[in-house]
Amino acid sequence: MEFEPKILGIACNWCTYTGADLAGTTRVQYPHNVRVARVMCSSRVNPAFIFRAFQLGSDGVLIGGCEPGDCHYSTGNYYARRRLAITKKILEFAGLEPERFRVEWISASDGIKFAEVVKEFTEEIRALGPQTKFKVKKDIET
Amino acid sequence: MKDIENRLKQEAKRLLESGEAEVVLAYGRGYDEKHPMPYAAKAVSDVDNIVFDEYCTFNMTRYLTEYPLGTKIAIAVKSCDSRTLIVLMQEEKVKREDIVILGIPYRDMIDSKTGKAIDNSTACNLPNPVLYDILLGDEVTERDDGSPYDVLKELEEMELDVRWEFWSKEFSKCIRCYACRKACPMCYCDPCFIDQSQPRWADKSPSLESNLMFHLTRFYHLAGRCIDCGECSRACPVDIPLHLFHKKVSKECEEMFDQVSGMSLDDKQVMVDFKMEDSDEILL
Amino acid sequence: MLKKIGLEKLNEFVSALIEKGTLFAPVKGDAGVDFQEIKNAGDVTLDFYNTLQSPKCVFFPQTDDMVRYRLKKETTDIEEISLDFEPRIAFGIRPCDVKSFEIMDKLFTRGGIVDPYWESRRKNTTIMGYAFDAVDPADFYGAFGIHAADTTGSDVFMVKGEKNLLLKAITEKGEKLLSSVDTLEDALEEDRKYFEERLKKGAELETRTLSLEGVAGKLRDMFGSPYWEKVAAPCLNCGVCTFVCPTCHCFDIQDETLFGEGTRRKIWDSCMFTDFTLEASGHNPRTQKSQRLRQRVNHKFSYYVTNFEVTSCVGCGRCTRSCPVNIDILTVVEEAVESV
Ligand code: SF4
Ligand code: SF4
Ligand code: SF4
Ligand code: SF4
Ligand code: SF4
Ligand code: FES
Repeated sequence: MEFEPKILGIACNWCTYTGADLAGTTRVQYPHNVRVARVMCSSRVNPAFIFRAFQLGSDGVLIGGCEPGDCHYSTGNYYARRRLAITKKILEFAGLEPERFRVEWISASDGIKFAEVVKEFTEEIRALGPQTKFKVKKDIET
Repeated sequence: MKDIENRLKQEAKRLLESGEAEVVLAYGRGYDEKHPMPYAAKAVSDVDNIVFDEYCTFNMTRYLTEYPLGTKIAIAVKSCDSRTLIVLMQEEKVKREDIVILGIPYRDMIDSKTGKAIDNSTACNLPNPVLYDILLGDEVTERDDGSPYDVLKELEEMELDVRWEFWSKEFSKCIRCYACRKACPMCYCDPCFIDQSQPRWADKSPSLESNLMFHLTRFYHLAGRCIDCGECSRACPVDIPLHLFHKKVSKECEEMFDQVSGMSLDDKQVMVDFKMEDSDEILL
Repeated sequence: MLKKIGLEKLNEFVSALIEKGTLFAPVKGDAGVDFQEIKNAGDVTLDFYNTLQSPKCVFFPQTDDMVRYRLKKETTDIEEISLDFEPRIAFGIRPCDVKSFEIMDKLFTRGGIVDPYWESRRKNTTIMGYAFDAVDPADFYGAFGIHAADTTGSDVFMVKGEKNLLLKAITEKGEKLLSSVDTLEDALEEDRKYFEERLKKGAELETRTLSLEGVAGKLRDMFGSPYWEKVAAPCLNCGVCTFVCPTCHCFDIQDETLFGEGTRRKIWDSCMFTDFTLEASGHNPRTQKSQRLRQRVNHKFSYYVTNFEVTSCVGCGRCTRSCPVNIDILTVVEEAVESV
């Protein structure tokens, strides 16, 4: 069976999630590989969510927030940027392909960018193949 | 070294007598010469039990958060230990005015478990305490030991998959005794995330996966806070080189945010701070 | 029956043992030697003082599966885990550790309730004891009347000489095992002499010691003493001392479920952990580390004595050697008793 990447997307309510919504309502085509969870702000993303997602079988994790300067809570994404940068370094030093983790700032009006990022990321993950390193070794249906 | 011990006793006695300190956190005798113990002197009569020798590796700041805020404490600190104080003060876990810092100018301590000298491959091993009120001896002279991150070279140069092999083998050994966490002066949370049952972040059984969840999250929690004392690795009964991972996270923090943890009371910790001009490149 | 095998032929012998059942033996790892289930004969080592962790894992592994399940809409599929274990051989167990099995038996099988997980492994295991040839300063098994070459409790007892490993059958079970392995040679008169001499020497080796008389009562009486605060001050409340201990037996039962599928397992727990006594209501009757250290010491040296007439410690010294802050249980007990 051909490998279909499973990607967790975590998007902030005010920008990226709205952008994803817009992509949907304007019928921009993008792969269904990303399942999006909504949080209020990118700074709500606890890095443990990301580690856990890889454990539960995600092949990639995509975090989306507002453009710097545009965060609904003014500075949330500035904090998030530092946290997620360190998270990525931790993943990489542990031996996980850093390409499996991506952060993008996507504004509410940018349905097109959302679709493009998802397309590109899905293809990158497809090329990397299934993520088996962190995944709990068990035949789990995800 | 005997001089340091004598000065330590002298100061402890003076501070307890004058009431400047209610307790002096230092080192005491253990079951034999090579195994001293952390020691809390609370009365002048306790002072005789204080010792200092090269096996007194403990980072006594670990005990500070056990005392109610406002307790007057005198504490013996070596170089990395003093950096912990700065971090704990930044986090308002202790107040500068409550602490009398007895700085110990001594390095190259010996790990009693391995018999090996502690150097900058296993700790920060700065020559002198960074912050102190009283220095218990002459300053140790600088010496070119290279960077405390030199030891990372081999791991950094490894292929990704080889590094994964390395860490997965190490984390598989973990028996989840939590000595690393409990020895760490910065791990004072109650409850720790790993003990939470709602949500349960990882299984309690020590499988590679649940161990990985514990360690990666803990490494993240120590980002910008760890001061490289190496207590976590020394405490580990199965010798997992946790300090290497912590060193790497610290190194990245320094490179990205241009600040060394626990060096100045005026700093704001990098993970609770940001700069507008932080570059998106750090996310690549 | 006294048999022998040349040390250079240890591999052959170990291979033969693997044929006889699931073999647990000392293996060298990064941090020290530990008992493991043996797949390759070459992994086994006889060159160690004592293992980092105790051999309790042979009968009481850190995680022990009880039942597997799959949650469905209305029902749950259950798969019980078979307790029909293959015969086991525990190889290279030091005399103090051999004694720990007997102490654990009391709790797991004679307390009125039988723990099938312990018992089913224990009853079909052959124990091959192994004489110490030196004493570590942390050890104090002498306090419990155990000596460095004590054969009590072993089915087979082994002594390592310069060239040979000598093996003596102590029980019928041991005799059966030794006579079924043909890689072994019969011992000669000089071997017999050497073996006896080593037993004698073992009995003469001195460890630290302590008089147990009245200890249980004294500890009980000083339950409320401020001594505990003082002695627990350096304690980190990690679980090292209890995890490495051959007689610590606390476990938790956890359902570990992922996407509707899971396992109910026994997992080691430790009275040194803060959440050991945490109740569902949020109340915790043991919030102080002094209370927790007191529990560890008193359980071993007082409550267990009341319940089973034996101290739940064999003086193997592991807790002392592994404690990150060098707390020594012997000193703690000694000073406690002196303080009354
Ligand atoms: S993580 Fe380790 S090296 Fe860092 S402060 Fe804690 S104990 Fe020290
Ligand atoms: S691992 Fe994290 S939650 Fe646990 S004690 Fe350390 S800092 Fe706190
Ligand atoms: S001290 Fe070592 S064995 Fe214990 S939990 Fe930490 S890493 Fe695991
Ligand atoms: S006695 Fe030592 S090993 Fe045991 S919990 Fe305390 S610090 Fe950890
Ligand atoms: S309490 Fe310590 S010395 Fe006694 S049996 Fe346990 S580990 Fe060995
Ligand atoms: S609300 Fe979008 S990043 Fe903060």
